[in-house]
Amino acid sequence: MNGIIVKNKRIADGHFLLSIKLSGSFQTPRPGQFVMVRDKGHSDPLLGRPFSVYAFERRETKVIVEILYKVVGKGTLFLSMLKRGDSLEIFGPYGHAFDVFPHAEKVVLISGGIGIAPIAFLASNYRRIVDAGNVELIFYCGAKTAVSLVEVEKIKELSSDIFISTDDGSIGYHGVITDVFSKNVSMYDPENSIIYACGPGPMLKRLSDLLVKNPIPCHVLIEERMACGVGACLGCTVRSKDKNGKDAHVRVCKDGPVFNIEDIAWS
Amino acid sequence: MSLRGAKRRGNLITYTISPFGRNDSEFMKRPSMKRKMNLSTTCKPMMVVNIGGLTLKNPVMTASGTFGYGEEYAPYLDIDRLGAVIVKGISLEPRAGNPPPRIMETPCGMLNAIGLENPGVNIFINEKLPFLRKLKAAVIVNVYGETIDEFKKVAEILSSTAGVHGLEINISCPNVRKGGMIFGADPDMAHEVTKEVKRVTELPVIVKLTPNVTDICLIAESVEDAGADAISLINTLTGMSVDIEQRTPHLGNITGGLSGPAIKPIALRMVWQVVKRVKIPVIGVGGIVTARDALEFLIVGARAVQIGTANFINPRATLDIIDGIENYLTSHNIPDVNELIGTLNEGGKIC
Repeated sequence: MNGIIVKNKRIADGHFLLSIKLSGSFQTPRPGQFVMVRDKGHSDPLLGRPFSVYAFERRETKVIVEILYKVVGKGTLFLSMLKRGDSLEIFGPYGHAFDVFPHAEKVVLISGGIGIAPIAFLASNYRRIVDAGNVELIFYCGAKTAVSLVEVEKIKELSSDIFISTDDGSIGYHGVITDVFSKNVSMYDPENSIIYACGPGPMLKRLSDLLVKNPIPCHVLIEERMACGVGACLGCTVRSKDKNGKDAHVRVCKDGPVFNIEDIAWS
Repeated sequence: MSLRGAKRRGNLITYTISPFGRNDSEFMKRPSMKRKMNLSTTCKPMMVVNIGGLTLKNPVMTASGTFGYGEEYAPYLDIDRLGAVIVKGISLEPRAGNPPPRIMETPCGMLNAIGLENPGVNIFINEKLPFLRKLKAAVIVNVYGETIDEFKKVAEILSSTAGVHGLEINISCPNVRKGGMIFGADPDMAHEVTKEVKRVTELPVIVKLTPNVTDICLIAESVEDAGADAISLINTLTGMSVDIEQRTPHLGNITGGLSGPAIKPIALRMVWQVVKRVKIPVIGVGGIVTARDALEFLIVGARAVQIGTANFINPRATLDIIDGIENYLTSHNIPDVNELIGTLNEGGKIC
């Protein structure tokens, strides 16, 4: 579907917030789902790029889809040069959304870097989705350095329970966010707590190792290079463990991007 | 086509055409284009083509490996409009495929090293074929094997199953009995696998050629001689890409197959060469994104085309191409697509 850029704002060095206006027939995305974004006028870059939905607003006949992105390669570099009024093709929403747990008392939300995007979307919807006033949202947000802790100010509107870390110690705990979480992990009862996490592969692997001894349910959102985005090309598969514990492959775009943390064969 | 600077001269509207087209089928549908046509706009051109005994309602098919088993794309386009769906390659036993990362974009294209992941022929028949049977598009199953025996077994099983209208034999794979040499790289091996598969099936057999050879025309002639009903070309070109910071290949398998707009000139040239050397129908595949691309292949002699990577960037690419071919035929007063096929004027421009 063709969309028009409403905003393509640099929010920190190399980090952008992109708002796109689309027709009202665009399906409402649920937290965890993603869109494929492509500039139709180019053959290079060729493929659309997948981005988790960060925010969504439905207005009378139009919708606004927002994504956060970091410039990491050719596709995101081109994206960063587009202006308000430029058009983009948006496909989706694709993928499985995060499951929500109406009876959870503590919802732990762990993000690393730009992984904050789907986590923030989930958090901002959680109370409305769950329709329960009692759920406690606790955030653990990590990043390389203070400036890459993007949109954390928005998180503060949702909860006062926020732990922050930076690899270089420029703000918050000096180290990785999973170290902060590991100090508190025994506070979370597996019977009434749920963890959601999104961030770099090494962070999710550390989390996976930590939860072996602390089996709190945990859903992660992962990313992989994609081509089709709909489960046809098998390009975005990652190694997983099937029901018998044997090696298998799952498609991040179609079987995910949300997975049970213990189903992925982390490396 | 991007249409800049429209000017009216009497009843005729002329446009400056930008080569950096955005949506060809939109251009072709413009009312001014239809006014120029001599044919009644309600009379649609004939699009039916015959591929080695298989009659297709139009010459547009999906390329194996890019369209899954149909179900994945079904929510996004009306698959019944396609001439044929060629499903992802099926082997005798399930294959897990290559370790990730399996894809990498390159300028105007992409590399893939999926590794022919598939559930195996039995699970395909039980779990994937029921959906395909409901389609109005022809269903062609791409077949993969590591030995001639495996090709035969899969072909035999599929031939006795309702809902399969044709087979496409993927000979871009290594023959493990002959030290991993690619079947399609050797005219004798290509001949043998084609002949043996033809022995066990009544279905039309299309042989899909690899371009990673010295002379693709020799392979084409050899499979025709062995009884192939049609030939499709090209499969992907072997390539690689390197991460200069990690100093590792971008693909888990190191090398992969290049597809997309970058390979179109090579595919087009090979189709043009092969058409001159064989009598059986040739199906063109390689970098076709728009109707204009498809028309180039038809003009050099392809009887039909397959659309692959384009599906990733536009799920409706195949339908836009069908519409675009129809509109071209209408606007050029060509009542039947078969009258366009192989009409390349090799003497150069007609003044």
